[in-house]
Amino acid sequence: MARHDRRVGYGLPLVLAIALHLAILVASVIRFPERETEPPSTNIVQATLVSTETTTDQAQRAEEARARAAARQAEEEAAAAAEQEEAREAEAEAVEAAEEAARQAEEAERQRQAENEAREEARRAAEEEAARRTEQAERQAREREQQAERRRQEEAERQRQAEEEAERQRQAEAEAERQRQAEAEAERQRQAEEEAERQRQAEAEAERQRQAEAEAERQRQAEAEAERQRQAEAEAERQRQAEAEAERQRQAEEQARRAAEAANQGLDRAIEGEADNVANARQATEAANSFINLVRRAVEQAWVIPPNVPDGASAEVSVRLGPSGELFAATIGQSSGNSAFDRSAVQAVEAAAPFAELRQLPASAQRDYRQFNLRFRPGDIR
Amino acid sequence: MNDSMSIPHLIMNASGVVQMVMLILVIGSILSWVVIFQRTFVMRRARKAHRAFEDRFWSGVDLNELYRETPAEQETQGAEHVFRAGFREFNRLLAKTRSPQAILEGVQRSMRVAWSREEDRLNLHLVFLATVASASPYIGLFGTVWGIMGSFQSLSMAQQATLATVAPWIAEALIATAMGLFAAIPAVIFYNRLSAESGRLLGKYEDFAEEFHSILHRNLQGRTDPGAD
Repeated sequence: MARHDRRVGYGLPLVLAIALHLAILVASVIRFPERETEPPSTNIVQATLVSTETTTDQAQRAEEARARAAARQAEEEAAAAAEQEEAREAEAEAVEAAEEAARQAEEAERQRQAENEAREEARRAAEEEAARRTEQAERQAREREQQAERRRQEEAERQRQAEEEAERQRQAEAEAERQRQAEAEAERQRQAEEEAERQRQAEAEAERQRQAEAEAERQRQAEAEAERQRQAEAEAERQRQAEAEAERQRQAEEQARRAAEAANQGLDRAIEGEADNVANARQATEAANSFINLVRRAVEQAWVIPPNVPDGASAEVSVRLGPSGELFAATIGQSSGNSAFDRSAVQAVEAAAPFAELRQLPASAQRDYRQFNLRFRPGDIR
Repeated sequence: MNDSMSIPHLIMNASGVVQMVMLILVIGSILSWVVIFQRTFVMRRARKAHRAFEDRFWSGVDLNELYRETPAEQETQGAEHVFRAGFREFNRLLAKTRSPQAILEGVQRSMRVAWSREEDRLNLHLVFLATVASASPYIGLFGTVWGIMGSFQSLSMAQQATLATVAPWIAEALIATAMGLFAAIPAVIFYNRLSAESGRLLGKYEDFAEEFHSILHRNLQGRTDPGAD
């Protein structure tokens, strides 16, 4: 028996064992990528909250409605040609929604324009106010100037009258003098005989007359002096008045300038306030974004996706928060059609609540973010 | 599963201790399969040889002729080996002593030695299979525990404890256990199967030895009577 001579060696078993292991290794390496291509996204959840909806934001809601209508329309077109009527309805709806959105956008535009106009008007009003005030001040100054002019003319009139009076007096005095001289001549001619006494008398008379003349002269001079003094006084008065007038005018101008400056400052302040408001709004937006990120991450971690979710399922959960971030209500806004999936989404929000970070938002932004929508989709939350 | 979670990638990125454990397990698995294949072939051949020998033995052939046909001492296996050892001892003792009792005792002892050698030959390396079957789950478990320790250490350093940071570590750690089980399960199954086979073959050899012993006893019975006279 030749068969008995051969002993069983180890070469063939070793080859077989190594071949077996290699076959298992190759099978595990090659089959894994093919098998794992189907459920890639179910394990990894990535959430992004893109849109927030506030109670007053009509345009956004309209946009969403339009998007939803478009999605529904696409689905129905793909589904069956028999449902074309419904598709057409959806289309009409979409058009309506688009119109609605456009109208609202227009309205918003108009509102913005109105705001702009109001601001413009305010600026114009301030300018007009300033202009009016300067004008008034000018007019007052002019009036005052006119009054001063009139007063000056009156005074000049008065002065002229006083001068005429003085002239008339002087003429009357000269007349009287001349009469007196004629009488004295006649007296001298009539009383030629009484030479010594009469001459002396006449001389005395003449002397007296001279004295009287001197007296009159003195009086005249005194009068003229007084007149001059009066004139000087009046002049000084006039100057004072003019100065006061100028002062008043200057003050009025100052006031007008101040008024104009005040108006300008008011305008500047209004512009600054506007800029502040814009900066505040930007800060609030940034804070709100970080808040949304926090909410998204919390919900994403709390979400347990149920097994056997149909591909492309998505549910929308509208979330309402209390003032300190506690959850008031989480309701299904748009169902995915899979109740287990909807429930898992609501439970994720409930598990992630409360969102205490809401308190860290600026007060103006808090109100906006107390209500928002979260879209759940295997792979990401939107 | 993406590329970073494929099994070769996980094995390559494992820590040194876990890689060592995996290497030990792979070697153990390969050796156990070598033993499995080798023993399976040995058992199958021994079974066939035994069947062939029994057919020949009970075909009414002369025992001396059968003894001459069989190859030399070192080449024989199984029942043939038992037969040769017993028959040679019988022939040698027959020439030296007249006591049938002494002859039968010597033949029996010789056959027991041959049987013991056969047992040793059949059960060769089955102990290694048993060792792999019982130890490799523990070795794989050690690798898993070590890997999970590493994963928790890395988790303590991470800012956010997400599933994505832990998953590669745990997957890699669990591969060690999987490999341990992969090595142990065939070893257990084939150890049981091969040891049962060898036990059955050894029982057959024992039966044959008893039968042969009774034949020799019968032959001796006829021969002792004239010797006793």
